[in-house]
Amino acid sequence: MNKFQWVQFQALLKREVLEHKNLFIWAPVVLGLLIFVINFLILSSLTDNDYEQFLSFLARFFGSGDVQSIAPTFVFPTLPFLGILYICAILYLTNTLYQDRKELSILFWQSMPVSNFKTVLSKLVAIIVIAPIFYVAVIFALYLIGILWLIFSGLSYDIEVAGLGYMFLTATLSLPIVYLFAVTSALWLLPFIGWLILFSAFANRTPLLWAIGSLALILFLEGFLFGSDFLSNWIETRSDIDNFLIVDYGGVFDRLFSYDMVIGIVIGSILVSGAIYMRRFVD
Amino acid sequence: MTNIVEAKSLVKNYGGFKALDGVDLSIPTGAISGLIGPNGAGKTTTLKALIGLCDVEGDLNVAGRDPRESRHKLMEDVCFIADVGILPKWLKVSQVIDYVEAVHPKFERQRAEKFLSTTEIPANKRIKELSKGMVTQLHLALVMAIDVSLLVLDEPTLGLDIIYRKEFYDRLLNEFYDGNCTIIISTHQVEEIEALLSHLIFINKGKIALNAAMSDLADTYTEVVVDPDKLERANALNPIYTRELLGKKCYTFESVPRAQLEPLGECLTPSVADLFVAKMKESKHE
Repeated sequence: MNKFQWVQFQALLKREVLEHKNLFIWAPVVLGLLIFVINFLILSSLTDNDYEQFLSFLARFFGSGDVQSIAPTFVFPTLPFLGILYICAILYLTNTLYQDRKELSILFWQSMPVSNFKTVLSKLVAIIVIAPIFYVAVIFALYLIGILWLIFSGLSYDIEVAGLGYMFLTATLSLPIVYLFAVTSALWLLPFIGWLILFSAFANRTPLLWAIGSLALILFLEGFLFGSDFLSNWIETRSDIDNFLIVDYGGVFDRLFSYDMVIGIVIGSILVSGAIYMRRFVD
Repeated sequence: MTNIVEAKSLVKNYGGFKALDGVDLSIPTGAISGLIGPNGAGKTTTLKALIGLCDVEGDLNVAGRDPRESRHKLMEDVCFIADVGILPKWLKVSQVIDYVEAVHPKFERQRAEKFLSTTEIPANKRIKELSKGMVTQLHLALVMAIDVSLLVLDEPTLGLDIIYRKEFYDRLLNEFYDGNCTIIISTHQVEEIEALLSHLIFINKGKIALNAAMSDLADTYTEVVVDPDKLERANALNPIYTRELLGKKCYTFESVPRAQLEPLGECLTPSVADLFVAKMKESKHE
Protein backbone atom coordinates (compact mmCIF):
# COMPACT_ATOMS: atom_id res chain seq x y z
CA MET A 1 0.00 0.00 0.00
CA ASN A 2 1.61 3.28 -1.08
CA LYS A 3 1.21 6.59 0.72
CA PHE A 4 -1.80 7.76 -1.31
CA GLN A 5 -3.63 4.47 -0.83
CA TRP A 6 -2.95 4.66 2.90
CA VAL A 7 -4.32 8.24 3.04
CA GLN A 8 -7.32 7.06 1.03
CA PHE A 9 -7.96 4.17 3.41
CA GLN A 10 -7.67 6.45 6.43
CA ALA A 11 -10.29 8.71 4.86
CA LEU A 12 -12.59 5.73 4.43
CA LEU A 13 -12.14 4.80 8.09
CA LYS A 14 -12.76 8.40 9.16
CA ARG A 15 -15.93 8.38 7.10
CA GLU A 16 -17.18 5.32 8.98
CA VAL A 17 -16.49 6.88 12.36
CA LEU A 18 -18.16 10.17 11.38
CA GLU A 19 -21.18 8.41 9.92
CA HIS A 20 -21.64 6.07 12.87
CA LYS A 21 -20.61 8.29 15.79
CA ASN A 22 -23.60 7.07 17.78
CA LEU A 23 -22.49 3.44 17.57
CA PHE A 24 -18.75 4.01 17.81
CA ILE A 25 -18.55 6.76 20.42
CA TRP A 26 -21.84 7.75 22.05
CA ALA A 27 -23.05 4.21 22.84
CA PRO A 28 -20.01 3.36 25.05
CA VAL A 29 -19.98 6.89 26.54
CA VAL A 30 -23.63 6.62 27.60
CA LEU A 31 -23.07 3.12 29.01
CA GLY A 32 -19.98 4.37 30.87
CA LEU A 33 -21.95 7.25 32.39
CA LEU A 34 -24.72 4.87 33.38
CA ILE A 35 -22.29 2.49 35.09
CA PHE A 36 -20.59 5.41 36.84
CA VAL A 37 -23.90 6.77 38.16
CA ILE A 38 -25.04 3.32 39.36
CA ASN A 39 -21.75 2.75 41.18
CA PHE A 40 -21.88 6.25 42.64
CA LEU A 41 -25.41 5.64 43.97
CA ILE A 42 -24.46 2.25 45.44
CA LEU A 43 -21.34 3.57 47.18
CA SER A 44 -23.18 6.69 48.36
CA SER A 45 -25.74 4.49 50.07
CA LEU A 46 -23.03 2.82 52.22
CA THR A 47 -22.43 3.99 55.77
CA ASP A 48 -19.10 5.67 56.50
CA ASN A 49 -17.91 2.54 58.28
CA ASP A 50 -18.87 0.19 55.43
CA TYR A 51 -17.33 2.53 52.87
CA GLU A 52 -14.05 2.66 54.80
CA GLN A 53 -14.01 -1.14 55.08
CA PHE A 54 -14.71 -1.44 51.37
CA LEU A 55 -11.83 0.91 50.51
CA SER A 56 -9.50 -0.87 52.93
CA PHE A 57 -10.34 -4.21 51.36
CA LEU A 58 -9.60 -2.93 47.87
CA ALA A 59 -6.35 -1.27 48.98
CA ARG A 60 -5.16 -4.43 50.77
CA PHE A 61 -6.22 -6.79 47.99
CA PHE A 62 -4.57 -4.90 45.17
CA GLY A 63 -1.65 -3.64 47.26
CA SER A 64 -0.52 -7.13 48.09
CA GLY A 65 -1.43 -8.93 44.87
CA ASP A 66 0.43 -9.57 41.69
CA VAL A 67 -1.13 -7.09 39.28
CA GLN A 68 -0.29 -9.20 36.21
CA SER A 69 -2.16 -12.22 37.51
CA ILE A 70 -5.17 -10.25 38.79
CA ALA A 71 -5.53 -8.20 35.58
CA PRO A 72 -7.60 -10.82 33.68
CA THR A 73 -10.36 -10.58 36.29
CA PHE A 74 -10.98 -7.04 35.07
CA VAL A 75 -12.14 -8.45 31.73
CA PHE A 76 -15.45 -9.50 33.32
CA PRO A 77 -16.65 -5.99 34.36
CA THR A 78 -16.15 -4.91 30.73
CA LEU A 79 -18.59 -7.50 29.36
CA PRO A 80 -21.52 -5.01 29.30
CA PHE A 81 -19.40 -2.83 26.99
CA LEU A 82 -18.66 -5.80 24.75
CA GLY A 83 -22.37 -6.69 24.75
CA ILE A 84 -23.23 -3.16 23.60
CA LEU A 85 -20.41 -3.36 21.05
CA TYR A 86 -21.95 -6.55 19.59
CA ILE A 87 -25.41 -4.96 19.41
CA CYS A 88 -23.95 -1.87 17.74
CA ALA A 89 -21.97 -4.11 15.37
CA ILE A 90 -25.15 -5.89 14.28
CA LEU A 91 -26.88 -2.54 13.62
CA TYR A 92 -23.78 -1.23 11.85
CA LEU A 93 -23.26 -4.26 9.64
CA THR A 94 -26.87 -4.48 8.51
CA ASN A 95 -27.08 -0.77 7.70
CA THR A 96 -23.65 0.13 6.45
CA LEU A 97 -24.12 -0.85 2.80
CA TYR A 98 -27.90 -0.46 2.86
CA GLN A 99 -28.20 3.10 4.15
CA ASP A 100 -26.31 4.80 1.33
CA ARG A 101 -28.33 2.85 -1.24
CA LYS A 102 -31.50 3.99 0.50
CA GLU A 103 -30.38 7.64 0.57
CA LEU A 104 -28.90 7.43 -2.96
CA SER A 105 -25.62 8.78 -1.61
CA ILE A 106 -24.14 5.58 -3.06
CA LEU A 107 -24.05 7.51 -6.35
CA PHE A 108 -21.65 9.96 -4.73
CA TRP A 109 -19.49 7.31 -3.05
CA GLN A 110 -19.33 5.31 -6.27
CA SER A 111 -18.39 8.41 -8.25
CA MET A 112 -15.09 8.50 -6.36
CA PRO A 113 -12.07 6.42 -7.44
CA VAL A 114 -12.41 3.97 -4.57
CA SER A 115 -12.85 0.26 -5.23
CA ASN A 116 -15.70 -1.68 -3.67
CA PHE A 117 -13.14 -4.02 -2.15
CA LYS A 118 -11.54 -1.11 -0.31
CA THR A 119 -14.92 0.30 0.74
CA VAL A 120 -16.14 -2.98 2.23
CA LEU A 121 -12.72 -3.68 3.78
CA SER A 122 -12.77 -0.27 5.47
CA LYS A 123 -16.16 -1.09 6.96
CA LEU A 124 -14.89 -4.36 8.38
CA VAL A 125 -11.73 -2.75 9.76
CA ALA A 126 -13.85 0.04 11.26
CA ILE A 127 -16.08 -2.32 13.22
CA ILE A 128 -13.51 -5.02 14.04
CA VAL A 129 -10.41 -2.94 14.76
CA ILE A 130 -11.41 0.72 15.26
CA ALA A 131 -14.69 0.50 17.20
CA PRO A 132 -13.15 -1.52 20.09
CA ILE A 133 -10.52 1.24 20.50
CA PHE A 134 -13.25 3.74 21.37
CA TYR A 135 -14.92 1.26 23.72
CA VAL A 136 -11.62 0.50 25.48
CA ALA A 137 -10.87 4.24 25.71
CA VAL A 138 -14.20 4.82 27.45
CA ILE A 139 -13.53 1.91 29.83
CA PHE A 140 -10.11 3.43 30.59
CA ALA A 141 -11.69 6.83 31.29
CA LEU A 142 -14.25 5.14 33.54
CA TYR A 143 -11.51 3.34 35.49
CA LEU A 144 -9.47 6.53 35.77
CA ILE A 145 -12.35 8.67 37.04
CA GLY A 146 -13.65 5.91 39.33
CA ILE A 147 -10.31 5.12 40.92
CA LEU A 148 -9.33 8.79 41.28
CA TRP A 149 -12.61 9.27 43.09
CA LEU A 150 -11.86 6.29 45.36
CA ILE A 151 -8.35 7.58 46.05
CA PHE A 152 -9.49 11.09 46.91
CA SER A 153 -12.27 9.82 49.13
CA GLY A 154 -9.82 7.27 50.65
CA LEU A 155 -7.49 10.09 51.68
CA SER A 156 -10.05 11.21 54.26
CA TYR A 157 -9.82 7.79 55.93
CA ASP A 158 -6.78 6.13 57.41
CA ILE A 159 -6.13 3.96 54.34
CA GLU A 160 -2.99 3.12 52.38
CA VAL A 161 -4.11 4.60 49.05
CA ALA A 162 -1.13 3.12 47.19
CA GLY A 163 -3.15 -0.11 47.00
CA LEU A 164 -5.85 1.76 45.09
CA GLY A 165 -3.12 2.98 42.73
CA TYR A 166 -2.22 -0.66 42.10
CA MET A 167 -5.90 -1.31 41.45
CA PHE A 168 -5.82 1.30 38.66
CA LEU A 169 -2.64 -0.27 37.28
CA THR A 170 -4.27 -3.72 37.34
CA ALA A 171 -7.40 -2.43 35.61
CA THR A 172 -5.31 -0.66 32.96
CA LEU A 173 -3.24 -3.78 32.32
CA SER A 174 -6.45 -5.67 31.56
CA LEU A 175 -7.40 -3.29 28.74
CA PRO A 176 -5.10 -4.75 26.03
CA ILE A 177 -6.67 -8.15 26.80
CA VAL A 178 -10.15 -6.62 26.52
CA TYR A 179 -9.20 -5.10 23.16
CA LEU A 180 -7.68 -8.33 21.87
CA PHE A 181 -10.75 -10.23 23.11
CA ALA A 182 -13.01 -7.89 21.12
CA VAL A 183 -10.92 -8.23 17.94
CA THR A 184 -10.42 -12.00 18.27
CA SER A 185 -14.08 -12.64 18.97
CA ALA A 186 -15.01 -10.54 15.90
CA LEU A 187 -12.73 -12.73 13.77
CA TRP A 188 -14.28 -15.81 15.38
CA LEU A 189 -17.71 -14.45 14.47
CA LEU A 190 -16.66 -13.45 10.92
CA PRO A 191 -19.19 -15.83 9.29
CA PHE A 192 -22.01 -13.90 11.03
CA ILE A 193 -20.39 -10.59 10.12
CA GLY A 194 -20.15 -11.72 6.49
CA TRP A 195 -23.77 -12.89 6.51
CA LEU A 196 -25.06 -9.54 7.82
CA ILE A 197 -22.98 -7.37 5.48
CA LEU A 198 -24.01 -9.54 2.52
CA PHE A 199 -27.67 -8.73 3.16
CA SER A 200 -26.78 -5.10 3.76
CA ALA A 201 -25.29 -5.07 0.25
CA PHE A 202 -28.41 -6.17 -1.59
CA ALA A 203 -31.60 -6.23 0.52
CA ASN A 204 -34.04 -3.59 -0.69
CA ARG A 205 -35.45 -3.05 2.80
CA THR A 206 -34.96 -4.21 6.42
CA PRO A 207 -31.70 -6.12 5.81
CA LEU A 208 -31.65 -7.41 9.40
CA LEU A 209 -35.00 -9.12 8.94
CA TRP A 210 -33.86 -10.55 5.63
CA ALA A 211 -30.66 -11.86 7.19
CA ILE A 212 -32.46 -13.50 10.12
CA GLY A 213 -35.40 -14.71 8.01
CA SER A 214 -33.16 -16.25 5.35
CA LEU A 215 -31.10 -18.03 7.97
CA ALA A 216 -34.23 -19.34 9.66
CA LEU A 217 -35.50 -20.58 6.29
CA ILE A 218 -32.21 -22.35 5.53
CA LEU A 219 -32.24 -24.01 8.96
CA PHE A 220 -35.84 -25.08 8.45
CA LEU A 221 -35.11 -26.49 4.98
CA GLU A 222 -32.06 -28.33 6.28
CA GLY A 223 -34.19 -30.06 8.89
CA PHE A 224 -37.22 -30.55 6.62
CA LEU A 225 -35.42 -31.83 3.52
CA PHE A 226 -32.41 -33.63 4.97
CA GLY A 227 -33.45 -34.29 8.57
CA SER A 228 -30.16 -32.72 9.60
CA ASP A 229 -29.31 -30.17 12.27
CA PHE A 230 -25.64 -29.76 11.37
CA LEU A 231 -25.92 -26.07 10.53
CA SER A 232 -27.95 -25.15 13.60
CA ASN A 233 -25.45 -27.00 15.81
CA TRP A 234 -22.57 -25.24 14.09
CA ILE A 235 -24.18 -21.83 14.63
CA GLU A 236 -24.98 -22.66 18.25
CA THR A 237 -21.41 -23.77 18.96
CA ARG A 238 -19.87 -20.77 17.26
CA SER A 239 -22.12 -18.24 18.97
CA ASP A 240 -21.63 -19.77 22.44
CA ILE A 241 -19.65 -17.14 24.37
CA ASP A 242 -17.75 -19.90 26.23
CA ASN A 243 -16.11 -20.71 22.91
CA PHE A 244 -14.69 -17.26 22.37
CA LEU A 245 -14.43 -15.66 25.80
CA ILE A 246 -10.77 -14.81 26.32
CA VAL A 247 -9.29 -13.54 29.58
CA ASP A 248 -5.53 -13.76 28.95
CA TYR A 249 -2.95 -13.45 26.21
CA GLY A 250 -2.59 -17.22 25.98
CA GLY A 251 -6.29 -17.47 25.17
CA VAL A 252 -5.90 -14.92 22.37
CA PHE A 253 -3.03 -16.93 20.87
CA ASP A 254 -4.87 -20.25 21.17
CA ARG A 255 -8.00 -18.84 19.59
CA LEU A 256 -6.26 -17.02 16.74
CA PHE A 257 -4.18 -19.98 15.66
CA SER A 258 -6.87 -22.63 15.77
CA TYR A 259 -8.34 -24.73 12.99
CA ASP A 260 -11.87 -23.54 13.84
CA MET A 261 -10.77 -19.92 13.51
CA VAL A 262 -9.37 -20.53 10.02
CA ILE A 263 -12.60 -22.25 8.93
CA GLY A 264 -14.64 -19.30 10.22
CA ILE A 265 -12.40 -16.76 8.48
CA VAL A 266 -12.68 -18.66 5.17
CA ILE A 267 -16.50 -18.81 5.39
CA GLY A 268 -16.67 -15.16 6.47
CA SER A 269 -14.38 -14.10 3.62
CA ILE A 270 -16.58 -15.87 1.06
CA LEU A 271 -19.66 -14.05 2.37
CA VAL A 272 -17.79 -10.72 2.42
CA SER A 273 -16.71 -11.35 -1.20
CA GLY A 274 -20.39 -11.78 -2.01
CA ALA A 275 -21.09 -8.39 -0.44
CA ILE A 276 -18.29 -6.78 -2.50
CA TYR A 277 -19.73 -8.34 -5.67
CA MET A 278 -23.28 -7.18 -4.87
CA ARG A 279 -21.97 -3.68 -4.19
CA ARG A 280 -20.64 -3.38 -7.75
CA PHE A 281 -23.86 -2.15 -9.27
CA VAL A 282 -26.27 0.25 -7.64
CA ASP A 283 -29.44 -1.09 -9.23
CA MET B 1 -11.54 13.32 -33.65
CA THR B 2 -11.41 10.33 -31.28
CA ASN B 3 -14.42 9.16 -29.34
CA ILE B 4 -14.31 9.15 -25.55
CA VAL B 5 -17.43 6.98 -25.42
CA GLU B 6 -18.02 4.00 -27.67
CA ALA B 7 -21.03 1.81 -26.97
CA LYS B 8 -22.44 -0.92 -29.15
CA SER B 9 -25.65 -2.90 -28.67
CA LEU B 10 -26.12 -2.04 -25.01
CA VAL B 11 -28.97 -4.00 -23.49
CA LYS B 12 -30.35 -3.74 -19.96
CA ASN B 13 -33.42 -5.51 -18.66
CA TYR B 14 -35.18 -4.82 -15.38
CA GLY B 15 -37.38 -7.88 -15.04
CA GLY B 16 -39.61 -7.72 -18.11
CA PHE B 17 -38.83 -4.06 -18.81
CA LYS B 18 -36.20 -3.33 -21.42
CA ALA B 19 -34.48 -0.16 -20.22
CA LEU B 20 -31.84 -0.28 -22.97
CA ASP B 21 -32.69 -2.02 -26.20
CA GLY B 22 -29.52 -2.12 -28.29
CA VAL B 23 -28.08 1.34 -27.65
CA ASP B 24 -25.33 2.33 -30.07
CA LEU B 25 -23.57 5.48 -29.01
CA SER B 26 -20.40 7.32 -29.82
CA ILE B 27 -19.41 10.64 -28.27
CA PRO B 28 -16.41 12.55 -29.57
CA THR B 29 -13.76 13.86 -27.19
CA GLY B 30 -14.37 17.51 -26.32
CA ALA B 31 -18.08 17.46 -27.16
CA ILE B 32 -20.84 18.83 -24.98
CA SER B 33 -23.61 16.34 -25.61
CA GLY B 34 -27.19 16.59 -24.47
CA LEU B 35 -28.89 13.27 -23.77
CA ILE B 36 -32.55 13.99 -24.07
CA GLY B 37 -35.52 11.70 -23.76
CA PRO B 38 -38.90 11.33 -22.09
CA ASN B 39 -39.32 9.73 -18.66
CA GLY B 40 -38.34 6.07 -18.69
CA ALA B 41 -36.52 6.44 -22.01
CA GLY B 42 -33.27 5.02 -20.62
CA LYS B 43 -31.27 8.21 -19.97
CA THR B 44 -30.23 7.44 -16.41
CA THR B 45 -29.56 3.79 -17.21
CA THR B 46 -27.32 4.84 -20.09
CA LEU B 47 -25.39 7.28 -17.93
CA LYS B 48 -25.05 4.77 -15.09
CA ALA B 49 -23.77 2.20 -17.58
CA LEU B 50 -21.15 4.69 -18.82
CA ILE B 51 -19.69 5.03 -15.32
CA GLY B 52 -19.97 1.40 -14.29
CA LEU B 53 -22.89 1.75 -11.90
CA CYS B 54 -25.15 -0.56 -13.83
CA ASP B 55 -24.47 -3.93 -15.40
CA VAL B 56 -25.31 -3.97 -19.10
CA GLU B 57 -24.76 -6.36 -21.96
CA GLY B 58 -22.89 -5.16 -25.03
CA ASP B 59 -19.60 -3.50 -25.89
CA LEU B 60 -18.65 -0.46 -23.89
CA ASN B 61 -15.55 1.67 -23.77
CA VAL B 62 -15.29 4.93 -21.83
CA ALA B 63 -12.03 6.87 -21.72
CA GLY B 64 -10.18 3.74 -22.79
CA ARG B 65 -11.68 1.44 -20.15
CA ASP B 66 -14.58 -0.92 -19.69
CA PRO B 67 -16.52 0.68 -16.80
CA ARG B 68 -17.87 -2.69 -15.69
CA GLU B 69 -14.39 -3.96 -14.97
CA SER B 70 -12.58 -0.99 -13.48
CA ARG B 71 -15.05 1.61 -12.25
CA HIS B 72 -12.75 2.95 -9.57
CA LYS B 73 -9.92 3.47 -12.05
CA LEU B 74 -12.29 5.08 -14.53
CA MET B 75 -13.53 7.50 -11.88
CA GLU B 76 -10.07 9.09 -11.74
CA ASP B 77 -10.89 10.51 -15.18
CA VAL B 78 -14.66 10.80 -14.96
CA CYS B 79 -16.90 12.83 -12.66
CA PHE B 80 -20.59 12.38 -12.12
CA ILE B 81 -23.34 14.60 -10.76
CA ALA B 82 -26.81 13.15 -10.41
CA ASP B 83 -29.93 15.04 -9.49
CA VAL B 84 -29.55 17.02 -6.27
CA GLY B 85 -29.36 15.17 -3.01
CA ILE B 86 -26.77 12.46 -3.58
CA LEU B 87 -24.18 14.10 -1.35
CA PRO B 88 -24.30 12.36 2.05
CA LYS B 89 -26.59 14.47 4.21
CA TRP B 90 -24.79 13.76 7.47
CA LEU B 91 -21.44 15.17 6.31
CA LYS B 92 -20.38 18.76 6.88
CA VAL B 93 -19.26 20.81 3.90
CA SER B 94 -15.66 20.84 5.14
CA GLN B 95 -15.77 17.07 5.74
CA VAL B 96 -16.93 16.28 2.22
CA ILE B 97 -14.06 18.42 0.88
CA ASP B 98 -11.62 16.61 3.19
CA TYR B 99 -12.93 13.26 1.98
CA VAL B 100 -12.66 14.06 -1.74
CA GLU B 101 -9.19 15.54 -1.20
CA ALA B 102 -8.05 12.31 0.47
CA VAL B 103 -9.53 9.84 -2.01
CA HIS B 104 -9.21 11.61 -5.37
CA PRO B 105 -5.69 12.00 -6.75
CA LYS B 106 -6.73 14.79 -9.14
CA PHE B 107 -8.63 16.97 -6.67
CA GLU B 108 -7.31 20.48 -6.05
CA ARG B 109 -8.66 21.78 -2.76
CA GLN B 110 -7.80 25.40 -3.49
CA ARG B 111 -9.93 25.41 -6.62
CA ALA B 112 -12.92 24.04 -4.70
CA GLU B 113 -12.48 26.56 -1.91
CA LYS B 114 -12.10 29.41 -4.39
CA PHE B 115 -15.36 28.38 -6.04
CA LEU B 116 -17.11 28.05 -2.70
CA SER B 117 -15.88 31.48 -1.60
CA THR B 118 -18.09 32.96 -4.33
CA THR B 119 -21.14 31.25 -2.85
CA GLU B 120 -22.94 31.56 0.46
CA ILE B 121 -22.21 27.97 1.50
CA PRO B 122 -20.81 27.84 5.06
CA ALA B 123 -18.04 25.26 5.59
CA ASN B 124 -19.30 24.17 9.01
CA LYS B 125 -22.88 23.36 7.96
CA ARG B 126 -24.11 19.85 7.38
CA ILE B 127 -25.28 19.07 3.87
CA LYS B 128 -28.79 18.36 5.14
CA GLU B 129 -28.95 21.98 6.32
CA LEU B 130 -28.21 23.38 2.85
CA SER B 131 -30.81 24.30 0.26
CA LYS B 132 -31.09 22.19 -2.89
CA GLY B 133 -29.36 24.91 -4.87
CA MET B 134 -26.46 25.04 -2.41
CA VAL B 135 -26.01 21.26 -2.53
CA THR B 136 -25.75 21.44 -6.31
CA GLN B 137 -23.28 24.33 -6.06
CA LEU B 138 -21.21 22.32 -3.59
CA HIS B 139 -21.18 19.29 -5.85
CA LEU B 140 -20.22 21.48 -8.79
CA ALA B 141 -17.40 22.99 -6.70
CA LEU B 142 -16.07 19.50 -5.99
CA VAL B 143 -16.29 18.47 -9.63
CA MET B 144 -14.73 21.69 -10.93
CA ALA B 145 -11.71 21.11 -8.71
CA ILE B 146 -11.01 17.78 -10.41
CA ASP B 147 -9.13 17.63 -13.67
CA VAL B 148 -11.20 15.05 -15.54
CA SER B 149 -11.66 14.07 -19.14
CA LEU B 150 -15.39 13.31 -18.91
CA LEU B 151 -18.14 14.91 -16.85
CA VAL B 152 -21.47 13.11 -16.68
CA LEU B 153 -24.45 15.13 -15.49
CA ASP B 154 -27.76 13.39 -14.89
CA GLU B 155 -30.53 15.95 -14.45
CA PRO B 156 -28.12 18.12 -12.45
CA THR B 157 -30.52 21.02 -11.99
CA LEU B 158 -33.67 19.05 -11.23
CA GLY B 159 -35.80 20.87 -8.66
CA LEU B 160 -33.76 24.08 -8.73
CA ASP B 161 -35.15 27.53 -9.41
CA ILE B 162 -34.22 29.31 -12.61
CA ILE B 163 -31.49 31.46 -10.98
CA TYR B 164 -29.57 28.43 -9.71
CA ARG B 165 -30.12 26.60 -13.00
CA LYS B 166 -28.76 29.45 -15.06
CA GLU B 167 -25.81 29.98 -12.73
CA PHE B 168 -25.02 26.26 -12.81
CA TYR B 169 -24.72 26.14 -16.58
CA ASP B 170 -22.95 29.50 -16.83
CA ARG B 171 -20.25 28.40 -14.38
CA LEU B 172 -19.99 24.99 -15.98
CA LEU B 173 -19.30 26.54 -19.35
CA ASN B 174 -17.16 29.47 -18.28
CA GLU B 175 -15.16 28.00 -15.42
CA PHE B 176 -15.03 24.26 -16.08
CA TYR B 177 -15.20 23.58 -19.79
CA ASP B 178 -11.86 24.12 -21.48
CA GLY B 179 -12.48 22.38 -24.78
CA ASN B 180 -10.47 19.31 -23.83
CA CYS B 181 -12.93 17.59 -21.55
CA THR B 182 -16.20 16.07 -22.64
CA ILE B 183 -19.54 16.77 -21.00
CA ILE B 184 -22.69 14.66 -21.23
CA ILE B 185 -25.84 16.26 -19.82
CA SER B 186 -29.19 14.58 -19.48
CA THR B 187 -32.08 16.89 -18.79
CA HIS B 188 -35.73 17.57 -19.43
CA GLN B 189 -35.14 21.30 -19.67
CA VAL B 190 -34.01 21.22 -23.28
CA GLU B 191 -34.27 24.96 -23.94
CA GLU B 192 -31.86 25.79 -21.12
CA ILE B 193 -28.98 23.77 -22.47
CA GLU B 194 -29.62 24.11 -26.18
CA ALA B 195 -27.10 26.93 -26.54
CA LEU B 196 -24.38 24.94 -24.73
CA LEU B 197 -24.52 21.82 -26.81
CA SER B 198 -22.24 20.74 -29.59
CA HIS B 199 -23.97 17.37 -29.97
CA LEU B 200 -27.48 16.15 -29.49
CA ILE B 201 -28.60 12.66 -28.56
CA PHE B 202 -32.25 11.64 -28.35
CA ILE B 203 -33.19 8.42 -26.65
CA ASN B 204 -36.59 6.80 -26.56
CA LYS B 205 -37.73 3.39 -25.37
CA GLY B 206 -34.15 2.32 -24.79
CA LYS B 207 -33.00 3.16 -28.31
CA ILE B 208 -31.04 6.07 -29.69
CA ALA B 209 -33.40 8.07 -31.88
CA LEU B 210 -30.87 10.72 -32.90
CA ASN B 211 -27.16 11.30 -32.46
CA ALA B 212 -25.89 14.30 -34.38
CA ALA B 213 -23.69 17.36 -34.18
CA MET B 214 -25.69 20.53 -33.60
CA SER B 215 -23.97 22.03 -36.61
CA ASP B 216 -25.41 19.28 -38.80
CA LEU B 217 -28.99 19.71 -37.66
CA ALA B 218 -29.72 22.67 -39.91
CA ASP B 219 -28.56 20.66 -42.93
CA THR B 220 -30.59 17.59 -42.01
CA TYR B 221 -33.80 18.93 -40.51
CA THR B 222 -36.03 21.63 -41.86
CA GLU B 223 -39.30 22.94 -40.56
CA VAL B 224 -41.62 24.41 -43.16
CA VAL B 225 -44.66 26.58 -42.49
CA VAL B 226 -46.50 25.18 -45.49
CA ASP B 227 -48.66 27.43 -47.66
CA PRO B 228 -52.25 26.11 -47.56
CA ASP B 229 -52.33 25.36 -51.28
CA LYS B 230 -49.13 23.28 -51.13
CA LEU B 231 -50.10 20.79 -48.45
CA GLU B 232 -50.44 17.94 -50.88
CA ARG B 233 -46.94 18.48 -52.29
CA ALA B 234 -45.55 18.74 -48.76
CA ASN B 235 -47.22 15.49 -47.69
CA ALA B 236 -45.68 13.75 -50.68
CA LEU B 237 -42.20 14.49 -49.28
CA ASN B 238 -42.94 12.39 -46.15
CA PRO B 239 -42.64 14.84 -43.27
CA ILE B 240 -41.59 13.19 -39.99
CA TYR B 241 -43.88 15.45 -37.96
CA THR B 242 -46.70 17.87 -38.50
CA ARG B 243 -48.17 20.44 -36.15
CA GLU B 244 -50.39 23.51 -36.16
CA LEU B 245 -48.73 26.93 -35.82
CA LEU B 246 -51.05 29.95 -35.60
CA GLY B 247 -53.59 28.26 -37.83
CA LYS B 248 -51.00 27.10 -40.34
CA LYS B 249 -49.58 23.65 -40.90
CA CYS B 250 -45.97 23.26 -39.91
CA TYR B 251 -44.10 20.22 -41.27
CA THR B 252 -40.72 18.87 -40.18
CA PHE B 253 -38.61 17.11 -42.81
CA GLU B 254 -35.54 14.96 -42.46
CA SER B 255 -32.83 14.84 -45.13
CA VAL B 256 -34.92 16.65 -47.72
CA PRO B 257 -32.88 19.30 -49.58
CA ARG B 258 -33.84 22.85 -48.65
CA ALA B 259 -34.10 23.82 -52.29
CA GLN B 260 -36.90 21.32 -52.62
CA LEU B 261 -38.71 22.69 -49.57
CA GLU B 262 -38.40 26.43 -50.11
CA PRO B 263 -41.19 26.58 -52.73
CA LEU B 264 -43.60 25.05 -50.17
CA GLY B 265 -43.47 27.91 -47.66
CA GLU B 266 -41.27 29.56 -45.08
CA CYS B 267 -38.33 27.31 -44.14
CA LEU B 268 -36.96 27.31 -40.60
CA THR B 269 -34.43 25.35 -38.59
CA PRO B 270 -36.41 23.51 -35.91
CA SER B 271 -35.58 24.21 -32.27
CA VAL B 272 -34.22 21.29 -30.26
CA ALA B 273 -37.55 21.08 -28.41
CA ASP B 274 -39.52 20.88 -31.66
CA LEU B 275 -37.09 18.39 -33.12
CA PHE B 276 -37.34 16.32 -29.96
CA VAL B 277 -41.12 16.20 -30.18
CA ALA B 278 -40.86 15.37 -33.89
CA LYS B 279 -38.45 12.48 -33.31
CA MET B 280 -40.41 11.14 -30.36
CA LYS B 281 -43.66 11.16 -32.37
CA GLU B 282 -41.83 9.57 -35.28
CA SER B 283 -40.50 6.73 -33.12
CA LYS B 284 -43.98 6.28 -31.64
CA HIS B 285 -45.33 5.53 -35.11
CA GLU B 286 -42.53 3.09 -35.94
